[in-house]
Amino acid sequence: MAEEVTIRRFELSDMDAMMAWASDPQVAAFCRWEPYASTGPLLAFLRDTVLPHPWFRAICVSGAVVGAVSVSPTPERCRGELGYVLARAHWGKGVATATVRRALRDVFAELEPEGLRRVEALVDVGNPASQRVAEKAGFRREGELRRHYWHKGRARDMVMYSFLSSDPLPE
Amino acid sequence: MEATATPSTQEEVKPGTAKVTVAEVTLRKFEVSDVDAMMAWASDPQVAAPCRWDAYESTEPLLAFIRDVVLPHPWFRAICLESGRPVGAVSVSPTGDPCRAELGYVLARAHWGRGVATAAVKRTVATVFAEVQRLERVEALVDVANPASQRVLEKAGFTREAVLRKYSAVKGIVRDMVMFSFIDTDPVPE
Repeated sequence: MAEEVTIRRFELSDMDAMMAWASDPQVAAFCRWEPYASTGPLLAFLRDTVLPHPWFRAICVSGAVVGAVSVSPTPERCRGELGYVLARAHWGKGVATATVRRALRDVFAELEPEGLRRVEALVDVGNPASQRVAEKAGFRREGELRRHYWHKGRARDMVMYSFLSSDPLPE
Repeated sequence: MEATATPSTQEEVKPGTAKVTVAEVTLRKFEVSDVDAMMAWASDPQVAAPCRWDAYESTEPLLAFIRDVVLPHPWFRAICLESGRPVGAVSVSPTGDPCRAELGYVLARAHWGRGVATAAVKRTVATVFAEVQRLERVEALVDVANPASQRVLEKAGFTREAVLRKYSAVKGIVRDMVMFSFIDTDPVPE
């Protein structure tokens, strides 16, 4: 993969780039949200959720915003939950894997002093592409949690992955 | 003090002690008048050791817990034997998803080693799915260092799904936890 992948904080001006994946039903399929039909609600999401979030980053390929990666708080200080989304035009090129590797390095550097020990990712059993991203980024597959997560009308089985602050970061 | 899935119940049968049957263990809602019975386990440091809470030293905070947490809770039950007096507690608590709830249980030390916790958990999974709307999964997290509590769940028909590394902090120490689950289509063992 020749292009350079970087991550940075979001700005309000990133909204149009965000709309590219946020409005895409294929991207939204495994996500908690429905595809956005207009920019109003997306702007509200950017302003009210993304900007104040403890760890939410834009994925950039050669400087253009093509997706998002986040590590969200859970009821436990030691544990954060990874999420990522990528515009369909950039699927299949290793962008998500490179992003997750970079995100792990940055998030532990920033939040391990505040007690973060574990970043976990829950991936639908029916989403092998996303499972491969986690595996190539060095996550350990811990098991399958049956009927764990209510998603778009059904209880789904999820694969649980984790990466600890003490795990070796892949190069 | 929640009922937690990490009591250090010793399920090995002591000589001369018979195991209880599921029929001898009943579950009912708590009342404020149960506070003295509750104090028997809530004040016991050995019971509290693997739990998130510290042993209670007086009944006032325990009364507050009954009033503020137990009575309004969607599914919190007293574990009773023949006398009808509570010897422990079992709870099934909501999570961020309506299909999934978390099991917790605690038992007074005098009743360890007779299969009471196992019977209470069997009774729970036999009834809770019919009582809680949209529930499909009951899960329980047990410290990897608590094999007695893991055996309670295995004997109650739970599936061991994963060891979750550095999953949660109990009394200031981040621990590895075993994740168990029972889903609404699983068979309840006899």
